[in-house]
This record gives sequence, structure tokens and C-alpha cells, in this order.
Amino acid sequence: MLFALIGILIGAIIGFVLPYTYNASYSLYISVAILACLDSVFGGIRANLEQKFDIRMFVSGFFGNAIIAAFLAYLGDKLGVPLYYAAIVVFGGRLFENFAKIRRNLLTKGE
Amino acid sequence: MKDKGPKIIITVFSLILGIFIAMQIKLNLETYSPVTISSLQLAKGQIENTKKEIIELEKIEKTKEEELKVLENISEGDDNIIDILSLDLEKNKIYSGFSKLEGPGVEITMYDNQEKRDWWFDINDDVIHDVDILNILNDLKIAGAEAISLNGERVMSTSEIKCGGPTIRINDRSSATPFVIKAIGDVKLLKAAVSASGTNGDILKNVYQKGFEVVAKDKIIISAYEGEIDFKYARPLEEGD
Repeated sequence: MLFALIGILIGAIIGFVLPYTYNASYSLYISVAILACLDSVFGGIRANLEQKFDIRMFVSGFFGNAIIAAFLAYLGDKLGVPLYYAAIVVFGGRLFENFAKIRRNLLTKGE
Repeated sequence: MKDKGPKIIITVFSLILGIFIAMQIKLNLETYSPVTISSLQLAKGQIENTKKEIIELEKIEKTKEEELKVLENISEGDDNIIDILSLDLEKNKIYSGFSKLEGPGVEITMYDNQEKRDWWFDINDDVIHDVDILNILNDLKIAGAEAISLNGERVMSTSEIKCGGPTIRINDRSSATPFVIKAIGDVKLLKAAVSASGTNGDILKNVYQKGFEVVAKDKIIISAYEGEIDFKYARPLEEGD
């Protein structure tokens, strides 16, 4: 939990310092992808706590989810239907689910 | 190693995630909001206004280009400089009131109340005063009158309306009742400005019972100013001062 937070913080600092930015028109896709990545990181933490961590599973989930989420947003834009809501709902829901499991795991471990 | 591996990988990947989040924040995006019909119409109106502005600016550009052409011709030493100057002179004469003008407008006739009154009645309430005429002239100017004359005397920027007992003096000439005011302009507006209820003309006519008649005419001729304007004190400000 803590190391992921530290990673995000350091990454954010690096991101702010780096002079690179991308085109603002991609921001919707990137933001949905960020949500998917966040979900993957939470899933990884959970798997780590449950001693079921698989690096292939984690990496493929990290990139696969992000790509599918971004693709959904792009497809939704083309079709005129806000499909990225699907990604937001699913990954947002899973985020909370993962967090709940992490919480339970950490709290029950302490007892 | 088996214990630390996942932690390192998760840290690395959250690093990547953090970079993307920071980039997204750096973009400083406005929040997405669904496009409503009212906002669409607002944008439409703005676009139309801008288009109109563009058209107007293009018109201005054209006239300016024509002016430039004329000036270029002058600088090339064309003979028509006299023509241009005389055209200019004509225009300036029209604007300043030194030329006879015609056009649609109204003719107002004002005269004193002819009724016989009792001895106690104040005669001032029956007589047309300089102030009455000034008020009417001002009302006509407000209504957009382009040229005004009073008893054949052109009303200029320097024209005085002076009370001279039974007469009124304008442009250094005295005249008596009936006072005929002619004005060229938008007939409807001019007529409304002096005959709608509550206006100075209406009060003169219906409250004071003085003679006040308004006639709208398709063709009104207004004579030119015949005097001379001689400025003793005013001088044009030299540019750059």
C-alpha cells in the first residue's frame, strides 16, 4: 500500500518536472486509461497481500485494461455514445472492491 | 527476492501511473460538460454576430481602399483634383448648412392664441415664446432632424433664438408670428416628437391652447444659411499640440 503511494508521488513529481505534454484532445482517453491503471495497481497490491501476485497477470492487466479503456472512450467518441462511462463504472467499482479487500486483509492480518 | 519482487514491480508501475496523472493535471483541462441546446444557440448567435462584423469590416475596407485610390490619383498629379475638391466642398456645404436642401419632413406652424380673453387673464399664456420654439427645435433634433429652418432662416449651430418682445430674432433677423418651422428627417419620428401626448408640442396645443399645427410633407425645401460666420476667438487646434 505504502510503496504504491510513494511510487505515485514520485511519479507525479517526475511528471511535473518533465517538460513533455500530450495533445489536450487525447485527455479523455488518457484519463480513462489512468483509471484503469489505478485499478490494476490496486489489484496488484491486493494480489500481493493475498500471496497470489503474478507478474504476467499484473503487467498484462495494467496495459491491457488501459488500452481497452482508452479504446472504449475513442469508440464512444466515434459512435456518439459515451462508452467511456462503462470503463469508469467498471474500473471505479473494482477500485473500491479491491480497496475493500486490501482493507480487510490488512486489518485481519493485524489481529 | 520473491517477497520483494511484487513490491518493486508495483512501485515501478505506480511510478508510471503517477507520471501520467501529473501530465493530465498539468494540462489544466476544463471540465467536460454535455452540450445543451441553449449553449448551442448561444454559440450560433456569437458566430453570426462575428460574421456580421466581418462583413461590415470588409465594407469599411472597400470604402477605405476607394479613398486610398482617389488619394493616390491625386498624388500622381491627375487633373481631377479640382473635381474631387469641389465634391468635397459640396459635401461640406451640405453638412454645415450652406446649401439648399430638400426632402421629406414636417412643417410646424405656431401662432398666438387668437381667442378673446377676460381682463384678468395673463397674456403670457397665450403668446408663443422663444422658449417654446427652442423646446420644439430641440425635440426635432432629438428625433433626428437633418435640417431645420425657422421662418426661412436656417437653424445653424450658432443660430440664436432671442425674445424680442412680440417678435423672435434668429440669425440676426427678427420675425413675427406665425412661426413656421420646417424640418427634414424621418417624417413619422418628427411628427411623433412634436405631437405625441406629453411632448412640448402637445402641451402647447392642448394645455395652453396656443396655435400649433403639424403637417407632414413629402417634399420640404429648406433654404441655405445666408449670413456669414466669422470666428473671432475660436481657432482650430493644430495637430500635434
